[in-house]
This record gives sequence, C-alpha cells and structure tokens, in this order.
Amino acid sequence: MLHQLLKKLIKTSAGRSRFVMAMIGLTVALVLILAAVQLQANYNELLNGKTNQDSVANFLLVNKAVTNKTIGATTLSETEIADLRKQPFIDDVGVLTPSHFKVSAESASGNMPFYTDLFFESVPDGFLDINDPAWKWDDRSQYIPIVIPNMFLDMYNFGFSASQGLPQLTPEAIKSLPVKIVIKSGITPVTYYAKVVGFSDRVSSVLVPQAFMDWANKNFGTQQDAKPSRVVIRTKDPGNPALVSYLSQHGLTTDTDKTRFSKYRQIVNVVVNASWVAGAVMFIFALLIFTLFIQLTIASCRPEIVLLTTLGTSPRQLYRFLLKQFFPVNIIVVFITLIIIAALQYFVQHFLAERNIYVQPFISVYTIAAGIAVLLVLWIVNSVTIKKYIANKLT
Amino acid sequence: MQVSLSQVIPIPLKDKIVQRNSDVWNKELSFNSTEWIKIKAPSGTGKTTLVHILYKLREDYSGAVLYDQEQLSVISAEKLAQLRQANISIIFQDLRLFPNLTARENIELKRVLHKPVYEEKVIDEMAERLQVSHILKQRAGLCSYGEQQRIAIIRALIQPFEWLVMDEPFSHLDQANIAKASALIAEECSKRNAGFLLTDLDADEHFNYSKQLNL
Repeated sequence: MLHQLLKKLIKTSAGRSRFVMAMIGLTVALVLILAAVQLQANYNELLNGKTNQDSVANFLLVNKAVTNKTIGATTLSETEIADLRKQPFIDDVGVLTPSHFKVSAESASGNMPFYTDLFFESVPDGFLDINDPAWKWDDRSQYIPIVIPNMFLDMYNFGFSASQGLPQLTPEAIKSLPVKIVIKSGITPVTYYAKVVGFSDRVSSVLVPQAFMDWANKNFGTQQDAKPSRVVIRTKDPGNPALVSYLSQHGLTTDTDKTRFSKYRQIVNVVVNASWVAGAVMFIFALLIFTLFIQLTIASCRPEIVLLTTLGTSPRQLYRFLLKQFFPVNIIVVFITLIIIAALQYFVQHFLAERNIYVQPFISVYTIAAGIAVLLVLWIVNSVTIKKYIANKLT
Repeated sequence: MQVSLSQVIPIPLKDKIVQRNSDVWNKELSFNSTEWIKIKAPSGTGKTTLVHILYKLREDYSGAVLYDQEQLSVISAEKLAQLRQANISIIFQDLRLFPNLTARENIELKRVLHKPVYEEKVIDEMAERLQVSHILKQRAGLCSYGEQQRIAIIRALIQPFEWLVMDEPFSHLDQANIAKASALIAEECSKRNAGFLLTDLDADEHFNYSKQLNL
C-alpha cells in the first residue's frame, strides 16, 4: 500500500526512453561478456576434454632435426626426455617406441591384393585419440589392432587409387579388411593377422598397442633397449614462443602443420578478448547511464522526497522502494541474456557436432556464475547510488 | 517522551530576542507528554521557527533541544523517521499536503508509513466529523485551504504519537469547524494520553490548556 502511494509520488517515468536504451545496452553488454565466458568455457572443454574425436588439444611429435651433423645420431637420451618433461609449457611426454624388427603387410583376401614392407610404432594410449574397444592386445588376441594416419587414407583415395585404377575405400571398408602381417625374425617368418581399428590425426605413423610392441620387440627385436628417437608431447599452446625457442635451442623439430591449432587458439583468444573488452566497456556505460537515471529520478522528485521525509518516511523505506523500482529489471535482463546465450550455445553445439567437434549443448556453470556475479555488481551499483542520492536529498 | 529546550535561540532572531522577555527563548524548559501547551505570540516572533526547531526541520539555533535525554541535533535520519512515525505528529501552518494525491491518499500515506494503529475506516469517521467526506476522492491541490487544513488535521491524528505539534492549526477554519476539530484533537490526544503544543496568535478557549506561554 505504501509502495503504491510512493509510486504515485516518485515518478520513475522521467526519461523512460533513456532507461530503455540503457537496458538494451546492458543486455548487449551482458551478451558479449557472458558469450566471452561461454566461449572460453567451450574452448577449455575442447582443449582438455577427452571426448573429442578431433581434439583441438595440442599433441606434437618431436624429434631431432636430421641434418648432416646429426645423421645417425637422432636418438633422444633419458636426460633429454626428462628435461622435456620438466618444461612448464609441456603437460606430458610420451615416448614413441619403434619396432626393432622387419615387418611386411599383405592382403589376407584375394579381392584386394597388396604387399608392402612397413614398420610399427607405439605410443602410450593417453596420447592417442582412439576410443575403440578393439584397441587392445594380449598374447591370446586373434589379431593385432592397428591405427593408421588419416593422411594415409587420403593419399590412397585421392592419389594412389586413381593412378592405379583401384576403387576408393571408406574408413569402414578399411576397417573390415583383414591384413596379414609377416614379422621376419631369425630364419622363419612369423605370420599374424591384423585389422585397422582407427585413424589418427595426431601421430603420423603406423601404430600398434604398446603391449604388442613391448612383446614383439622382446621376442623378435634385433637390438635390445634401443633408445627412442621420437616423442609425442602434449601442450596447451604449441604457439607458445617458449616452446618454439626451447625446441630450436635443443635442435628439435616438430610437425609445423599442427601449429594450425595454435592459430585457432589465437583466433579464439582474439574473439574472447574483443568480446570481453567490448562487453566491459558497454557494461560500464550502461552502469553510468543507469546511475544517471537513478540520479535524475531522485532529483526530479526532490520536493516529494523532502516532504515524504518530513512526514517521517525513513531513508530505509525510500531506499527499499527505489531499489524495488530499479533493480528487478536487472534480474530480467540477466535472465534474458542467459537465455540468449543458452540458445546460441545450443546452435553452436549443433553446428560444431556436424564438424565432429563436441561441446556441451548447455551453458557452462561459469557462465551462470558470471551472470550471478554481474547481477551482484548491478545490485551493489544500484544500492550505493540510491543510498548516496537519498542521503544527498535529505541534507 | 519528555521534550526539553535548553537556552534555545534561533540565530536569525537573536538580536530581537535578547531585547525582550520570552517564556521560551533562551530558557530552560521541559514539557511532559501529558501537558497541553499553548504558545501565544504575535506574527513574526518565531512561532513557526519554534515548531520547525522542535520537529528538526531547521537547525540554525543555539542551545539544545532534547527528546528525553537525546539531543535532537545528533539523532540519525533513521531514528528521526521512527520518531516522526510513532512519537511526534505535526500539523503544519502551510499544511504540506501532496497536491497530486487525493485527500484520502494523503491521509492513507501517513497511516501506512508505520504499522497502522487505525483501520482505514477511521479516516472516513474522522472525515465525517470534520465534514470533509465529500472531498476525500478529490486531489488535495484542488481543495480549498479550509478543506486542506482539516485533511492535514486528520493526517496528523491517524498515526500513533505522544506529542502533537500544531502550528496555527485553525487559521483557515470558521468557529463551528474549529469547535469540531478541537474536539476531535482533544479526544485523540486523551485516547493516546498524549500531549500537544499549539501555537497561535491570540488567546483562545479551544482546549483545556495545562500551560500557556508567551513566545
């Protein structure tokens, strides 16, 4: 009842259009700020998530550059690997184990005859983007699972098959193709069957499970305890200048193409930062307009407020009334903003899923937390402004 | 609540006051809330000034005003509002209604400012007695001074109080209306066991005053 009467006396309609503009500005500002938070959350999810087929996480194959000086001496010592592990910009190091025996592969069926000499490498499973349950081996396994680079398939489909008059192959077709593996060790070659279980973008090599590699090297290897010459490192930022300079200082090279991920990252960073800055600037202006609006309202109702106080309206009653006039619209704005972000996120999730990039369809808790934090800031600004101007009018 | 004045002199009136004798200015005075006090003074001697000093609307005076033992000049805004809502009510000489609110809304505002002690229908009863029922729905700005004055009286009586301060409360009323209004005021003060302080130009017999002072 008191508030209804106060509403008649303290008109908040003065400069209503400016208020609406401030609110629209605030909404845009919050969309930018919260979008930046959400974008960062999505990016972190992609960077650290394990569910992504084509993860943006940065895995780099590192080896010594082969030059005239280093020919035949490109193995990495344990101290060199340990030093790599110590670097702050390297999250993890996985040693690539090469096969120390001769291997050849040939078709196990007459439909697709082929023969090739090849080699195997293995890498700890954590460094591989393969989730296939068939990716495991023990000495009772029927066949050896193999992972080949996606690039091989492309080379075959778009280069080799055309030039040789062979049909193109789908990944599924390759996976169903049985392969005969012959390991030449000692006098009698040993035959195994193998199957391609996956394709990797991360490690450009023919990979077998670590367990098979350890077993095969032990049984067929021509040299024991050979030192590795390639490692795969996981890093958050392959574009990190410290990493690049470390590698060149130690005569190491890496797959420079992988640094395209760092370009994505730079783009994401630019977008996030631009969104942040634009959002923050707009937010500050919206706050400014907002405080001016509160000031204007209180100033335009000065005689009423003075008489109300004379009659015994307490500053707290005025404060509560004014806060109730100004603050709820902020809650609505933050709510609308979160809905907009949620809708965008849903759209982005669909868009990226079509491109084999998986992010959450829902907005992150960080975004909601940021929304609440913004609301808190708005409340404080409202509260402080109202208190300040009420006190001003009364003295 | 005891209201005390200690050597109070309004600064703008200082020169005039020291030249003449006053029962109030520059004296030690104490009023108990059971007293009905009449302050009589000719124009321009500071009646409204006294009322405003007592109600803390102006502070350009020397000396001290105390509510119970508390010095009025240092009371917080919040505490002052509480006092005005529940302990001290006022009828201004210049009425001070909100012109854009109806007469009823002007009274209602004062009723709901504090936890109401009277129901809404009391407004109608009082309006009936002062013969202003017909203007309750009218904007206060459109009412005559006589009507506004009666609305201001009802507004002052609708709240709880221990002290009622009245600054020439009947200046716009005829004798018949003064009689009705003073009867209502006396009734409400007795009901609350409250005291009042009334300022006026001349001597009168509207109330059974317990103290009469010349300003």
